[in-house]
Amino acid sequence: MPGPTEVVAFYAQSWINCDRGAVRRIIAPDAEITWNLDDAVDDEELVQTLHRIAAFADSVAIVSTTCVGDRAALVYDCSAPFGTVRVAEFLTVADGMVREIRQVWDAVALRRYFPGLLDEN
Amino acid sequence: MLLPEVHLVAGTRAEAARLAPVATAMHAAGLLAPVLVAGGRRPALVASVLAAFDLIPDITLPVERDTGGRADLLTAMIGHLDALWAERTPAAVLVQGDTTASLAGALAAGWHRIPVVHLAAGLRSREFDPPFPGEANRRLVAQVATLHLAATPLAAMNLLDENIATGDVLITGSTTADAALALAARRRPFENLQVAAARARSGNRLVVVTTHRRESWDAPLDRILAAVRRLVRRYADLDVILSSHPNPAVRAQVEAGIGGIPRVTVTDSLPYPDLARLLREAYLVLTDSDDVLEVAPAFGVPALVLREDTERGEALHAGCARIVGTETDVIVREAGTLLDNRLRRDAMAAAGNPYGDGLAAFRTAQATAAQLGLADWPEPMPARADGSRSCQARPR
Repeated sequence: MPGPTEVVAFYAQSWINCDRGAVRRIIAPDAEITWNLDDAVDDEELVQTLHRIAAFADSVAIVSTTCVGDRAALVYDCSAPFGTVRVAEFLTVADGMVREIRQVWDAVALRRYFPGLLDEN
Repeated sequence: MLLPEVHLVAGTRAEAARLAPVATAMHAAGLLAPVLVAGGRRPALVASVLAAFDLIPDITLPVERDTGGRADLLTAMIGHLDALWAERTPAAVLVQGDTTASLAGALAAGWHRIPVVHLAAGLRSREFDPPFPGEANRRLVAQVATLHLAATPLAAMNLLDENIATGDVLITGSTTADAALALAARRRPFENLQVAAARARSGNRLVVVTTHRRESWDAPLDRILAAVRRLVRRYADLDVILSSHPNPAVRAQVEAGIGGIPRVTVTDSLPYPDLARLLREAYLVLTDSDDVLEVAPAFGVPALVLREDTERGEALHAGCARIVGTETDVIVREAGTLLDNRLRRDAMAAAGNPYGDGLAAFRTAQATAAQLGLADWPEPMPARADGSRSCQARPR
């Protein structure tokens, strides 16, 4: 079974590479998912939103990854044509799958530089 | 009785200077136990600034790094703070501004669901271009913070514009000004021997010049140095102390431009107490530093800004600072206007200090205690120096 570090790396690279199937496989069916955006989120909505971000962005760079035991904190910079959005993500891994995802977006920049993104939810 | 701990995270000298008055105010109030956490690339520099306030770091993170970029530093600091707070969980974490240490502190605290108090919140440049991540950092810290302490009404409005809840924003003033006033009041001897020698032998008017931003290097710096040469030549009663960036190439450029000129002293980055005392004694400041721009009004010293814009628009609106850019002729003309006419110089400071009334640290300490249910909320900083009109109060 892959360790938490491998699981986190697989999850991050999967959504950055627009691989929705891989993202779905690595997130546990009963995963607890929260973010600081207005709308409630579940696993499928998260997958779709990350896909749209990765598809629209010029690049998504992992700025920082900190893995401690079964937990991980990541910081990404999502560069779009109009500007860059920074997001932090806190993950918990168990049994080779992501069991908890907590995302903290620069909500203002996200709405500005990824226009219409959240309207599609 | 053990008091709830509040961890104050400082990764740079400027952060240490901003947080030191808060730690002192928390000690004085006796409601919270401030714990100073020194991190960043040079924790020893953080400690040196704290020492000027008779403080020492309670915890020093072992993240000194001579190599690696901000990303490596961010990762290292998150890791160390996570380990610290897993063992010793504070009641709240206080970070300030937009540095890598601030972001690391906010994220590590958010990871542990520890309340985050953000000092100097709400500054916005709307400039995301690399290699300066400050705007991205401060915006993300704002999303994690539970209490936003803004230095000015404009900063508070920036937060409200971003849908931060009104009740989570308090206008405190800037603790930078608190720090500078506290240090200058002590009238300690200059630590820098060159500065001490220059000030001991002269009763001339003093112009302090600081050029530390990377944008000022090369051609802009040459133009600034040319302006300094012309001002010293024109005014026989003028001393100039220029604090140079320690980068060897920059220092060499400065020495080539103004080294050896009588009445001009070139120094490396000055110890914080020295800078505070010099600003108090200055007739005029020429600077590209936002921090200096915040401190100069506290001493009633006008500042000419050696760049094309600044995040400290309040100083411009209050009239205590003026943007002059880096063109030699413009710098000489604007500085000459103030050097020729004391009344014009004094008039720039007439509107008072837009960044604080010396009580920012007190408000910060009380607001943090209030956030934890240990005190009443403080009144926000009055919008006018005479207190006749208050900024919007927290709707409690």
